Order: sequence, then structure tokens, then C-alpha cells
Amino acid sequence: MSKNLWLMLGMLASIMFMPFAAQAADELVIYSGRSDKFVRPVIKVFEDKTGIKVTIHNAKAAELVNKMRVEGDRTKADLFISNDAGSLQIGSTYGLFEPLPQEVVAAIPSNYRAKDNTWIGLSARARVLVVNSNKAKKLGFVKSVLDLADPRLKGRLAITHSANGSFIAGVTVYQKAVGDDRTLAWLRGLAKNSEGKVFNKHSKIVNAVAEGKKDIGLVNHYYIYRHLDKEPQAPIQILIPDQGDNGMGVAWNVAGVALVKHSSKKDLAKKLLDFLVSKEGQKIFAEVNREYPVRADVAAASQIPPNGSYKVADVPMEALGEEREATLNLIDKAGLH
Amino acid sequence: MNEAVFNSRTGTVVRIINIARSLIRRSITLPSSLATLVVLIAAIPLLSVIYDSVNIGQQRWQGLWSTRLPELLFNTLSLAVLVAVGCFVMGVSAAWLVTRREFRGRKLATWLMVLPLTIPTYVFAHIYTTLLESDGWLGQAWLFIFADTLPIPDLYNVMGVALVLSLAGFSYVFLLVRTALMYSSRSLEEAARMQGATPAQVFRKVNLPLLRPAIAAGLAVVVLHVLSDFGAVSMLNFQTFTLSIYLQMSGRFDYQTAAALSLVLVLLSLTFLMIERIFRSRQRYYSGSQQRRYELKPATRAQQLLIWSWLGLIVLFSFALPLAWMLVWTGKAIQADLIDARFWEYVSNSMTVSAIVATLALLVALPVALFHARKHSRYSMACIQLSSVGFVLPGPVIALGILSFVLAWMAPLYGTLAALVLALIIRFLPLAVQSQEASLQQLTPSIEQAGRVLGASPLENLFRVVLPVIRRGMLSAWVLVFIDTLKELPATLLLRPIGFDTLPVRIWIEASEEMLELAAPAALMIVVGTLPVLWFMMKATAERKK
Repeated sequence: MSKNLWLMLGMLASIMFMPFAAQAADELVIYSGRSDKFVRPVIKVFEDKTGIKVTIHNAKAAELVNKMRVEGDRTKADLFISNDAGSLQIGSTYGLFEPLPQEVVAAIPSNYRAKDNTWIGLSARARVLVVNSNKAKKLGFVKSVLDLADPRLKGRLAITHSANGSFIAGVTVYQKAVGDDRTLAWLRGLAKNSEGKVFNKHSKIVNAVAEGKKDIGLVNHYYIYRHLDKEPQAPIQILIPDQGDNGMGVAWNVAGVALVKHSSKKDLAKKLLDFLVSKEGQKIFAEVNREYPVRADVAAASQIPPNGSYKVADVPMEALGEEREATLNLIDKAGLH
Repeated sequence: MNEAVFNSRTGTVVRIINIARSLIRRSITLPSSLATLVVLIAAIPLLSVIYDSVNIGQQRWQGLWSTRLPELLFNTLSLAVLVAVGCFVMGVSAAWLVTRREFRGRKLATWLMVLPLTIPTYVFAHIYTTLLESDGWLGQAWLFIFADTLPIPDLYNVMGVALVLSLAGFSYVFLLVRTALMYSSRSLEEAARMQGATPAQVFRKVNLPLLRPAIAAGLAVVVLHVLSDFGAVSMLNFQTFTLSIYLQMSGRFDYQTAAALSLVLVLLSLTFLMIERIFRSRQRYYSGSQQRRYELKPATRAQQLLIWSWLGLIVLFSFALPLAWMLVWTGKAIQADLIDARFWEYVSNSMTVSAIVATLALLVALPVALFHARKHSRYSMACIQLSSVGFVLPGPVIALGILSFVLAWMAPLYGTLAALVLALIIRFLPLAVQSQEASLQQLTPSIEQAGRVLGASPLENLFRVVLPVIRRGMLSAWVLVFIDTLKELPATLLLRPIGFDTLPVRIWIEASEEMLELAAPAALMIVVGTLPVLWFMMKATAERKK
């Protein structure tokens, strides 16, 4: 018995100490906080084109930033892809990234990248309202996201819970645009109107609005079209808020990429970066999720309101990282679920 | 100085050294030093938490105390109490029925009570929120019955979370209580019956007191699961300590506050464990050597109907509905051709890690359990308590502690499975220690002494006397650790080697991106992968034929 035991232990030990993914010299590692489903297509094309193998390591963006912080110069990551500008900026503040060369960033408009070029946006999403078409008339008074705190919407409003990254990023934009006090009052209004019942998924918000259980919801634009794919006849429509001369514009957030400072394969990583900012890469990266390519010369998916057809809030993406703490404090203070 | 004085002095010194040496020799036995070593390793994450939280200063502590702590304490404690009650009711009643009454399908019922263990809490949470949608099965049923008179209940509150965690955890109580009922002595119950006690009285006055250790152990496992649960509370957004700690770390990048909250959670859990221990240590029962098997009392038709309606209700919600959901959605995933080679890689990764962790945890836990069972000293008790740390620290915190430790001291190990395995062993060590120690309690000291008297060396005694006696406990421990590792999420998320995805990791990724097609087959594979080991365990504890 004891001989078998030792044999077994030996085998276990050899499995454990075998580095599971012994990365070859010409193999890239991406820490990705964006859905696998949206990252793989563009990576696949890149692999086929260049013959460079890419390993994608998935987790939530914020967790990956923590991981890279602890790993320091031992990190295996070459690139970091995030679904949220906030995590990119926070990673940048921790000094995890290397500024990208001018030829890479040149194609990206300056408001969708870090000032020091430590990260760039790749695709953008808009925080919009989804409205039940049968209630659209009754809801005529809703022109701004801020109108969602109107008591007339009591029990009719659908929002995600306040730990949702897109929700938090949106609040940061409103906070920058209208100030802390108005945002706090607005958050308290949301808490009242949602009556303590919040949704854990954006898709469920769209669903509830389509079924008439709720009249209006605050979502990212692509969830509306994802729902219409499945049910083309669903009575929902998009409402683009905060337009007109006095409107603050729609809150945007970007998914983006950064080059890890301690990467040992920066040359290879730059090849992938070049591809991601190329017209072809941009198209694939954004289109899988019907987001807006950040390059103005690449068109977005045809179903969504075209880039430039509406006003976008003039808040730099960096704020989504820098102001995150302040936003979280405000949300806590408002007592939102 | 004259020689005589010097001699007597050295004599004294030598004598003192000798006494000390023999004292040390007696107290530093092999189990004790091994146990100490294990406990030291298990304490790594705790040490890093303490280190981080002492630095935050009195003012921040006061700030925490006046803002977050009261709510978190209330939420966490009320959840723990509700889940304990739920698990007690379901687990004890079911265990008593299958060990004391003969009815059709009794063996099947035993199985069905254990199967919920195969479903992770976050899968339960996800499935029930989906089922309670107005177009979900339960939502539809609710609307059919209540129409518009009662709104469909939602799960984003303490009752909802308690329901999910009770369904996911009552099997622990069932298993431990069932084993205790099967192997407890029959004569006491018979004596009580002869004195004219009703079955209810026998249960209250004889079974319950005798079952106290098993119930306490079962509830301890359940409550510890509640305190450290991450999956269900984060899916249902219910602010317990663990969720708050996680959000503090990954939302606010504030590791110090997270560490401080973890420390409070650890103290809370240790207090709870201490109470449980004291409660348990007041009574120890050695089972007599002559055991007679129970003759199950046949149930009448009406009783059978009642029994099955109660058990059926439990099964429906704890296993049948979730399984049906998984099957339907897996069917959809197969139709959509979503199951590819990568999926099978996740399956094999999960199985490999779970088998390694379960085996190693068992070996590592043995000296701790053995040490305490032999000595029952304060120190051995302290070892047991400290080895429980892994269970009470939230997974994300353990993972970060191990990550820093490995990077600082064993850098070459980083990126291999070893770091993950280390963290998971620490996390589930208490499960292995608890089960082994519980079965060691049945080992009458006289049996072991007999072995030694007959000339067996300590090692021989271990292999020929102790291990065979606790074999059943060891097997249960292996299975429990295997199952928990198979379902483990937060530590695996952080520590897995690059690109090494397990089933829970995939479920998490797919579910958080609102892509649910792949979550169902992955959850189903966890259930399927657990079945063989459960079968092993149940077979080993099956009642022997007379």
C-alpha cells in the first residue's frame, strides 16, 4: 500500500510542477477582461495572418489589474484588454503599462486614449435608454438620463444593480457633467423609482421593457439590438438621451488595450496592436458586439445609430478611472442597491 | 570556585537539559510537528491579512465600524442563521426518514438527498433567477396560480439567498446525520421504546442529544460555506462580508480595507467554531464494539405517501428543477454546435485539479486530525482551529495571500499548477480535517492501545489499525474536498496557470457576459463528473447486509 502511495504522490508532484502553459518564445499572452466571444474572432484572424500563437487568459478586468500589480515583473502578460476604460486607467496609474508608440496611437482620436498613450480605446458603447414603444407617448417628458429620477417613473424604471461596471462608468460621466450634488439627488431618485428591485443583467432589463413589465430602462446600446435579433417584433425602441444645445450628450465608454510594461515580447505585441488599430482589426473587434469602432473612418454595424449622428458627452475616458472611487462613494451614499 | 560546587552546578544544568530534552521529545512527536507545519502553511493567508490590516490605523477602523460593519454583520449573521435553520430542517428530517423507516425507493431517496452537492451555489442562484422570470418555468407556474394577486418573489434579498444556499448545502447535514444515525447504538432507542416513549419522544430525548456532534459538525460545514460563499451572493448582489471584501479589492483596489474586513470575518468564524467545539466537546460517545444493525420499521401506505411528498418536495427544488434546466439548455448548446474540443479541455482541467487537491488535502489533514484525536490538548485544539482558517477566509483573499507568498518565496513555482493547488488545499483543509477527526472520534482509544500492546510500531499501528477504522471518514473527506474543488471559483480565477480554464471559470465568464449557452453544459459536466465519486462514497457507507 505504501509503495503505491509513494508512486501516486510522485506522479502528482510531476503533474503539479509541470508548467501548464509553457509559453513558447513566439507566443503572446493576453490578459483579457472582455468577453471571450468578442475577443477570439479578431485574434483568430491575426493568428491566421501572422502565424503568431496567442493565449487568452480571461477574468474580470479589475481582477486582472490586481493580478498584474501583485505579479510585478514576473507577469506573463504581454497585453491587457479591458472592457472598461476605468480599469485601463487604473492600471496606468499603477504604472503597469508602457506608452504606445506614436504610429500605433495616431489612428485613434485623442479623447479615446490615455493622455500619456499608456492605453488606447478600440471600440465604444453608448449608455442609452430603451423604451417600450407602446409607452413612448406617455414618456414624452424623458429627454435626459437625469429625468429617470422623475417621480412619474416610480415603479416603471429598470436599472442594473450598482456594482455593474457600465452603470458605474455612466454615473462617473454624469457626475463630471452636472456635479456631485445633482448626481447624488439623481441617484436617490433612481433608488426610489426602482423600488429596491434591480436587475442583475442588462438583457433582463431589455426583456422587462419589451414585455411591458417596465416602461423604460438604462442600458448599453447593443443589448437592444441583441434582443431584436431574437425577437424582431419586440415593442422596444432606442431613446438617445441628453441631446440638443443644452444636453450633456450620451455617456460613452470604451473597451481598449494596453501594452504591459514587463512584457518580454514587445515586438510581437506591437504586431498585434498594429492589427487591432488597422481598419480590418477595428471592424472585426467592434462589429462582433455592434459597438462603435473608435476610428472615425471605420463604419459601425448598420443597425445602430451611426457615430456622429448624435452628441456624445465631453468627458475624457481617463476620468472613468480617476473618478471611480468618488463615484463609488456617491453610490454608497445614495444607498443604491 | 571549588570543584564540588562546579560539579553540582553542571550536574544541575545537565539534569535540567535532560528533563527539557525528554519533555521536548515527548511533546514533539511526529504528528505534532507535522500538524504544526501544516497549520503554519495554512496560516499564510491569515498572516498576510493581519499584516495588511494592522497598517490601516485606528481612524479607518472607526470609520468602518460606524459605516459598513453593522450592516455587514447583520446581513451575514442573519443569512447564516436562516441557512442553518433551513439545512437543519431538510437535512435532519431526511436523514431520519431514510435510516429509520422502510419505504419504497428508500435507497433512491438517499441518493437524491446527496445530489444537490454537485451543483455550485452560483449555478443555483443563476438557475433560480432565470426560472423565476415571468417567462421562466416557476414564474409561469406562479402566474398561473396567483395570477396578479401576488407578485413573483425575487431572490435579491436575504430570504432568496438563504433559500439558494440552503438548497445547496443541506446535503452536508444529511450526510453527517445519516452516518451518525446508521452507526449509533440501537439499544438506547430500544430501551426508550420499551419504557413507553413515542417515536417523537425518542427522537427528541434520545436521537437529538446523541446526534448533537453530527448535527453540529454538519451545521458548521454549512455555516462556513455561507460565510465564505462568493458565487451566490455576488450573483444575487447580497452584501455579506465576502462580497464586500471582493468588491473592496476588485472594485476599489483597496486591499487594506478588504484585509480589515477579512480579519473581522475570521474572528467571527473562529468564534462560531469555538462555540461549536465547546458544544461538541462536552460529549463524546465511543460506539460499542458490538453493533447491531437497525431493523427499519416498515411504513404504511399513508406514511409512504407522506414521506415521499416531503422528500419529493426537497428533491424537486434542490435537484430535479436545476437538472432539467441544465439538460434543456445543454440541448440548445449542442444544437448550436457550441461544444468543441476546448470544452472537453475545461472538463479535464477541472477533474485533474480536483483529484490532486482532494488527495493531497487528505494526506495533509491526517496529522492534524490524528494529533488532536490523540492529545486533546489546548495546543492540538488550537491547531484544529487554525487549520480552519482556509474555510473562513474568503476565496479571493486566500488567493491573493498565496499569490504574494509564492511570488516572494517560491517564485519558480509561479505559473505552475502548484500555486493553485496550494491555495485550494488551504481552502478545503478544514473539510478534510473535520471529516477525519469526526471518524477518529469513533476510534476507541483501547483499540489503538491494543495494537501497541501487541507490539505494533506507531507507523504499523497507523496503517493497520487507525487507517482501516477511519477509511470511511477518509473516503468521505476525499469526496467532499473533490466536490468543493470542482465547484471552486474565486481562488481558481486568480491563480490558475495562463489559459488554464476550469468549468466554474467558464461558467463565471459566460454568465457574467450574459452568454448563457455555455454555462449550462459546464454546470452539467460538474454534476456528471461528481457522480462517480459520490457513488463510491455512498457505496462505502452503504448499509451492510445482515
